[in-house]
Amino acid sequence: MNLHSGSSPNAVQAFWLKGIYDALLFPAWVVAFSLISIGPLAQAAEYSVFAAMASTVLVWAGPAQVLFFSGVSAGMALPAMAFVIALSSMRFLPMTMALIPMLPLKNKSLFMQLLIGHMISVTVWAESLRRLPSIPDEGRIGYYMGFGGCCIFLSTISTGLGFLLTNTLPVAFGAGLLFLTPVFFTCSICAGARNAADWLAIVAGLFLEPFVSDLVGPEFDLLVIGLTGGTAAYLVKRHLVLRDKGKMA
Amino acid sequence: MSDLSLTLQQIVTLFVVAAIPTGLWRVSGVLLARRISSQSEIFEWVRFVATTLLAGVVAKLLFNPSGVLELVPLWVRLGAILAAFLVFMLCKRSVLIGVLVGEIVVIATLYFIQG
Repeated sequence: MNLHSGSSPNAVQAFWLKGIYDALLFPAWVVAFSLISIGPLAQAAEYSVFAAMASTVLVWAGPAQVLFFSGVSAGMALPAMAFVIALSSMRFLPMTMALIPMLPLKNKSLFMQLLIGHMISVTVWAESLRRLPSIPDEGRIGYYMGFGGCCIFLSTISTGLGFLLTNTLPVAFGAGLLFLTPVFFTCSICAGARNAADWLAIVAGLFLEPFVSDLVGPEFDLLVIGLTGGTAAYLVKRHLVLRDKGKMA
Repeated sequence: MSDLSLTLQQIVTLFVVAAIPTGLWRVSGVLLARRISSQSEIFEWVRFVATTLLAGVVAKLLFNPSGVLELVPLWVRLGAILAAFLVFMLCKRSVLIGVLVGEIVVIATLYFIQG
C-alpha cells in the first residue's frame, strides 16, 4: 500500500463525496422510499412526527421499527416487544461481523467502530460488500460514512413525509412501496453473487423460509435458515476452493 | 403534558424498546469482529450465514406481506420477483432496472385488479 498518495484531507473528502454520490444514484432512494411506510405506522400508534423520524435515526432497522409501532398500536407489553425486536434484529450480528474487517479500523476509536456498526442496514451492508473492494483502503471509511449517512438522512426525511402524507397515497402506490424492500434486497444480494456457493446461499434462504417457518415458528426461523443454508453454502465454497487448488497442483 | 415532553417520552420508549435491542447485535458484531483476525475463515462463513438470512427475509416479506401488499395475489408477488430477477440478469445485473420491472408488475396488477 502506498502510504502517501491519496491520504490528504482533500482525497479523503473526495471519498466521502463519492459515497454520498453513489448512494444518491439509487440505493438511498430505495431505503428512503421503503421507510416512508414507517410514518403511517407511527401515526397509527399516536406517536409524534419527531418520534417517527427519531426511530429511523436511532433504530435504523425497518423490521424493528415496524414491530415497534405496530406493537404499540396493538398495546403489546413493552418487555415482550423488546424481546421480539431483539430477535428480529439478530441478522445484524453476522452482518456487522462480515463488514467490519473490510474497513481499515486498526487505529480508530471504539466510538467510530460502533458508529459504523450502527449505520449498517441491509442496503448499506449489501452495497458496501459489493462496492468497498474497489475503493482504496484509505478512502473506505469515508466512502462508507458518506454512503450510510446519506441513506439515513434521506430516510429520516422520508419517514417524516410518510407521516404527514398518510391517507393521501393511492393504494397501488402503497403496495409498490411495500414491494420495494423485497425486490431491492433480491437484486442487491444477487448483484454480489459470484459463484455456485453464493447462489446456493440465496436460493436456500428463499426456498427454506416457508418450510422452516412452519417447523420452528416465526421467531427463530431466520436464525435456523441462516445457520443451515449459510453453513451449507460455506461448505460448498470450501469444496470449490479445495478442488481448484487440487487442479493447480 | 406538553407536546415536547410527550415526544421526549416517546423517544425514550423507542430507544429502550427498539434501539437498544437492535443495537446490542451491532455492538456484539463489532466487538467480536475486533477479536478475530480479518483473514479468518469465520468471516467467510458469517458472510454466507448473513446472505442466506437476508434471502430468508425476502421470502418472509413475499409470503407474509404487510399492509396493502396483501391485496396483490401471492403468485403475482412471486412472478414480479422472478421477472425482476430475469431482467436484472439480462441487463448486466442492473439493480435499478430489476427493481423497476418488479415495481411495474406489482403496481400495474393492482391497478388492473381494482379496475
